[in-house]
Amino acid sequence: MNWKLWSLKKSIWVFHVNAGACNNCDIEIVNLLTPRFDVERFGIKLVGSPRHADALLVTGAGTRQAAVRLREVYRQTAKPCVVFCMGACACGTGIFEGGYHIAGPVDKIIKEVDPNAIIAYVPGCPPKPEAMISGVVKALSAL
Amino acid sequence: MKQEELDNRLSEIEGELLGVERTADTRIFLSCESEKVYAVCKFLFEELQLRFVISTGVDAEHCFEVLHHFTNDESGCIVTVKAMIGDRETPELESIAPLIPGAEWIEREMHDILGINFRNHPNLRRLILDDDWPEGVYPLRKDVKV
Repeated sequence: MNWKLWSLKKSIWVFHVNAGACNNCDIEIVNLLTPRFDVERFGIKLVGSPRHADALLVTGAGTRQAAVRLREVYRQTAKPCVVFCMGACACGTGIFEGGYHIAGPVDKIIKEVDPNAIIAYVPGCPPKPEAMISGVVKALSAL
Repeated sequence: MKQEELDNRLSEIEGELLGVERTADTRIFLSCESEKVYAVCKFLFEELQLRFVISTGVDAEHCFEVLHHFTNDESGCIVTVKAMIGDRETPELESIAPLIPGAEWIEREMHDILGINFRNHPNLRRLILDDDWPEGVYPLRKDVKV
C-alpha cells in the first residue's frame, strides 16, 4: 500500500449527496454522527464540500434532475475517492425501477463520468447505522 | 359550522351542479361543469368558509377529472368539487389559484404531469419534472409510455 492511500484511509472525510432520496437514509446517516454511534471516533467526518471529501455517501435512486448534479459533485471530489451507495434505491433504484423520472441507479450515473470509480453498496431500506459502518470498514479493507 | 347547516347551505347551489353524490355522512361529491368550478369553489371557500385541502388530477381515459377537496373543520366533512374535462387534446380549466393561493403548486403539478392548462393561473411554470424533460410529454397520461 502506498503512503498516500494509507494516510487517506486513516481518517476519511465524507460528503453526503441526496440524489432523490425519501430522507429515510439521510436520517440514518445523521444518526451515524450522533453520540450513540459517533463515527468521528473512527475519524469519519461529514464535511461541507466535495473538494474536502474522500468519500461520497449517495442516497436516493438518482432522479433525472439529480443525476446532473451528482456527476458534477463526483467530478469535484478529490481523487482517489470512494462512492458509497446507501440504501436500496441507490444500489438499484429499488421500487422506482423503470419510473419516468429515474436516471439511476447511482453506480450507472457515476460510471458515466469515471468507468473505474470505486463503488461500495450498502443495501437496506434504510440500512441500519451498524450496516453503514460495516460497509465502510469492508470497503476500506478491500482497498 | 354544523353538518346540518352545511347540508342546507349546499342545497343553495344544487341548481349549478350536475349532481350531488353522498358516499357517507361526511363525504360529499359535487359534480359540475368545468366552467362552473371557479364559482362553486368560490362559494365553498368564501361563503361557507371551508378549508382547501388538496386537488387531484386523474386521467380517466375518456376525459380528465380534476377534483378540488375542501373540508369543514367542525363536522370533519370533506366536500369534493369534481370537474370532468372532455377535451383530451387541449384540456383547460379555470384556475382557483387567484382565489386560493394554496392551490397554486398543485395546479402547477397537474399541469406538469397531466398537461391540464389552468386559465388565469398566476405562474404556471414547470414544478416537479426535471429541466430537460421534453415539452408536451405528460408522464401520467394513460397513453404515454415512458
